[in-house]
This record gives sequence, C-alpha cells and structure tokens, in this order.
Amino acid sequence: MKVKSILAGLLLTLSMSVVANAQLQLNGAGATFPAVIYSKWFDQYKNMTGVQFNYQAIGSGGGIKQITEGTVDFGATDGPMTDQQLSEAKSKQGSEVLHIPTVLGAVVISYNLPGIGKGLNLDGYTLSEIYLGKITKWNDNAIKKLNPKLNLPNKAIVVAHRSDGSGTSFIFTDYLAKVSKDWSGKVGKGTSVNWPVGLGGKGNDGVAGIVKQTEGAIGYVELAYAVKNGIHYANMKNKTGKFIEPSFASVSAAAEGYAKNTPADLRVSITDAGGKDSYPISGYTWLLVYQNMKDGAKAAELVKFLKWSLTKGQAYATGLYYAPLPKQVVKLCEKRIALITANGKKIK
Amino acid sequence: MENKLMDSKYFFYRKKITSSIMMSLTFIAALAAIIPLIFIFYYTISKGVTYFNFNFFVAMPKPVGESGGGMANAIMGTLILIGLGGAIGIPIGILSGTYLAEFGNNKFGFLVRFMTDVLSGVPSIVVGVVAYTMIVIPMKHFSALAGGIALGILVIPTITRTTEEMIRLVPSSLREAGLALGLPKWKTTIAIVLRTAWKGIATGVLLGLSRAAGETAPLLFTALGNRFWSTNIGQPMASLTVYIYDYAKSPFEDWNQQAWTAALVLILLISILSLLFRIITRSKYKTN
Repeated sequence: MKVKSILAGLLLTLSMSVVANAQLQLNGAGATFPAVIYSKWFDQYKNMTGVQFNYQAIGSGGGIKQITEGTVDFGATDGPMTDQQLSEAKSKQGSEVLHIPTVLGAVVISYNLPGIGKGLNLDGYTLSEIYLGKITKWNDNAIKKLNPKLNLPNKAIVVAHRSDGSGTSFIFTDYLAKVSKDWSGKVGKGTSVNWPVGLGGKGNDGVAGIVKQTEGAIGYVELAYAVKNGIHYANMKNKTGKFIEPSFASVSAAAEGYAKNTPADLRVSITDAGGKDSYPISGYTWLLVYQNMKDGAKAAELVKFLKWSLTKGQAYATGLYYAPLPKQVVKLCEKRIALITANGKKIK
Repeated sequence: MENKLMDSKYFFYRKKITSSIMMSLTFIAALAAIIPLIFIFYYTISKGVTYFNFNFFVAMPKPVGESGGGMANAIMGTLILIGLGGAIGIPIGILSGTYLAEFGNNKFGFLVRFMTDVLSGVPSIVVGVVAYTMIVIPMKHFSALAGGIALGILVIPTITRTTEEMIRLVPSSLREAGLALGLPKWKTTIAIVLRTAWKGIATGVLLGLSRAAGETAPLLFTALGNRFWSTNIGQPMASLTVYIYDYAKSPFEDWNQQAWTAALVLILLISILSLLFRIITRSKYKTN
C-alpha cells in the first residue's frame, strides 16, 4: 500500500508540474565567450520583467546547429554563419536567420614564459609563422626583432589551439588569413580548421589551462579568460604599426574604424582593422534569431529584450571585459530587429 | 618415523605461510578495491562541504562568474528527471521481466532477452543522441520529457533482467500451490510470484534509478539545462550532473567548489533513495 501511494504521489506531482509552469521561457544555446555577459543580462532581465531567457553555453558550432534544427528560440555565435549555413537553416525552418551583434570582444595571445612578465610584442605574420610551425623557438630572430628589450629564452614554443568548433578560432584564423598568404592558402579560416601544429584544448578554459600549465606555451583565448586566469598576453602590432594592448577600448576602436563599412546583414569581420588604436584580433559576437517566429508572445519578448540589450544592456559590458557596440552599429541593429515578425505580422 | 614427522611439520608450516601470504594478498586486493571509494568520499566531502549549507538547497544559481548562489533548480530537476525516467522505465522493465520469466520460454522471449542485453551495453551518450534525434528535433524543443525518456530507456534493461532473475528464484512449488487452488496463471503471477519476488525487484529498480540519477551524457542534448527554476517537463530542465559537468570545467574557482558540493548532494540523494527502498522493502517483507 505504501509503495502504491508513494508512486501515486510521484505521478500526481509530475502531472501537476506540467500544468503549473505557465511562465514564459525562451531557450537559447551557443557561444561560450559571451556566456558571462549573457547570463548576467538574462538574470537582470528576469528580475525586471519575469521573463526567463534560458541560455546554455554549448559553443558557437552548437548554437548554429541548434538554430538550424529549430530546437531553440535563439542561438549565439562568435563566427558568423556562412551563406550555405544560412540557406540550409532557411530551407529547414522556413525563415531567414538574422545576426544581431550584442557586444565585442578581443582574442588575446596568451603565453607562459617564466622570467618574462607582461609586454611581449607580436605581429600577425610572426604569429602565423608560429602557428604554421615554422618558428619553433622563443629566441627566434623574428620574435627577437619585435622585442629588442626582452631576454627571450632558448625554449621550444608549445602551440595551443581549440579542439572544438569555436567562434574564437574563427576570429583568430580570420585574422591570420588576412595577414599571411601562406596561412590563407594552407589552412584558411573557420570555426574548426586543420591545425598544422599544436595541442588542442576544449573551450576557452581548455586552452587557458594548457597555457597556464605549460612553460613555453602560446595560445589564443578570449580576454576575460586570460584576465580571470591571471595569464599574460601579448601586445599585437596593428595595421598602422603600433603595438596595442587588448582592452575594451582598443576593441571599440577597431569596431569604430569598421562601423561605416558594416554590411546591412551585420555579418562583419573586424580583424586587422585600420585606425591607430585598434586591436587587430577583435570580433563581434552575435545572437541568431529567426526573422519570422511562430510564437507571437515569444517574438514580442525577444524583440523587447534585444532592444534592452542594445541600450541599457550595453552598460554591463566593460565591467565584464567586453566592449560595447559602436553607436552606428546599434542603429543598424535596430533596423534588423525591426524586421522580426510573428507569423508574418509586424511586432509592435 | 622421525623423518615423516619432520615432513608433516614442514608441510604444515609451508601451508601456513602460503595461506598467510595469500590472505594478505587478498586483503590488499580488497583494500585496493575500496580505496577509490574512500577517495571519492574524502574528496567530495572535504571539497564539497564549503558550499554545503541551507542556501545551496534553496537559492538559484548566480550569473556566470559571480560567486555564491545555490542549485535549488538542479536538485528539483534531478528529482523530476529520475521520476520521469522511473515512470517510463519501471513499468516496462517489471512487465517485460515478468513476461520473460513466466511466459518467455520461446523464440520471442529469447529475442527480447538478447535485445535487452544489447541495450544494457549501449553507451548512455548514444541513447542521448537517439533521444535527441527522435524526440528533440521533431518536437523542435529541448525538454525534460526527452531527458526522462532517455533515462527511462537506460533503466529498462537493469530492471528487466533483475525482475526476471528474481522471479526465477521463486520456487515453483509456490506457483503450483496457487494453480492447485484454482487461480488462473495471471493471478498467480501477480498475487504470488510478484509478491514473493518483490524485494529483489525493488533492488533492481533502485539500481536502475541510481544509475539514471548519475547520468550526464543522455541529458546534455535532451533536457539541456536551465538557469532558472522550472518544473515544466515540456521545457529544458536543470540537473545536478549537467551542473557538475559545466561547473567543474569552468575557469571560475567558485564554480569548481560548487561542482564538488553538487557531487556531494548527488551522492546523498542516491543514498537517501537507497535507504528509502530498504525501508519500504523491509516493512513489506514483515507483513508477508
């Protein structure tokens, strides 16, 4: 008898829980890099409005996959979807997928060289040679030339890269492809590429871990991960020949430099940006949303949230090591958001 | 004569020495077997105790990178997911186990037995992918229900095979007694066989559910995860295992700590479940 009543009680609670939870919830998944600010935003937004945006950081590749399969209400990525991915999503879901930038970030070149603290200087070409496996020692002449004041050790360079599909990898390889013909010919750009040399780590935390634990290692991670793990990162030479320390200011500068040339669909790369204060390995991170949503209530809430993120939400960025969007880009975003419809009807 | 005595003495000591060597070897082996368990308890308790407080059970998780917060939603989520997995897996498992033991001495029974064995060997992540393809994609939604079904599939083989084994242990004289009194076979099965085998079946159910409670892989792309309080089985749901996975590999010290606490809570949860089953089956045994 006891068992029966326990089982009955269990079933009753289960069936009740199906009915009880009528609160509006939107589900999203994707990039790990913006997860810090997204979870902050969604937490704040829930406290203000009661609407729950459940975000799961499964990686940019996963975000694109889930928005293509239609299993989420929104996705997120640091590497824009390709034309082919966009048309696949459209044919599967019957709606265009829009890219809405949310914040900007820097990919930093972190390194582990005991005795050499902050202040290593690198340029794009040298970096590409390291990642191609052509420069293998820290006291290579190419690196020495960039750092005349540093006493570089005769130590092997341990190259670390991402093993998973990653928007961070996209920004990094996109930059290398721009500054090195060799790189664009042999490796190219993408969320996952065939790395000529190096060790793979999963996620930004994985690469940060390799760099932290391996003497002589070099690896690329998002700024926040380097700062939070206390790893040093290099100043990068930009297009104007200046060495720039990655920071939200130098990322903003890169974005400002490109803002005029931002295409209407907002899929833009801002690596190797002009402008004397621009940090060259910067990038946008995007939310992926359906242009036409089937659920009116969800569409209305998503639009409301997007507008909030572009205005009040931007204030959270710098404290969490992200750069806010340039004003011109915010205007372009608003135009894109205005395109979102629910079953073909405009959202007020 | 003397020589013989020497011989037997020699054999006696040799045997004694061999015996004591073997004894100590088995003792060491037994110790080696429990050492990992001791380490598991030591680490989860010593590292998990930092956050093991009331707040952990009632508070919600904080945004990424902020310290503090609890895992109320994940604890509830794990309970609901086990409940769902059980609601699906227990009836199917017990019924098919009963079928196999009582009516399954034929080709179909052989096939089912074989398939169940294969199913028990299927890695849980594969079950997760299947649930994702068959439930999440067509429903266009990650949901606790999909997670529950994946867990349900995982517990079926354990429960089926234990049920079958336990029922086979019921002496046939008991069945014959029921049949002799004029009971039809189905009634004999329910009222006599199942009642007798109850304790063993409950152990099987417990084993299945404990396994389900500890699974991460099948939940990653079915129940997905949730940062908020949600008891709606049509929505993504948080679970302790997925939180452990996320928090343990995060770069934030505070989260690593919370992962240990989540592990501790999970172990406690399974222990309580096991205790509960012991109490239920014991009282049942007495009334018989």
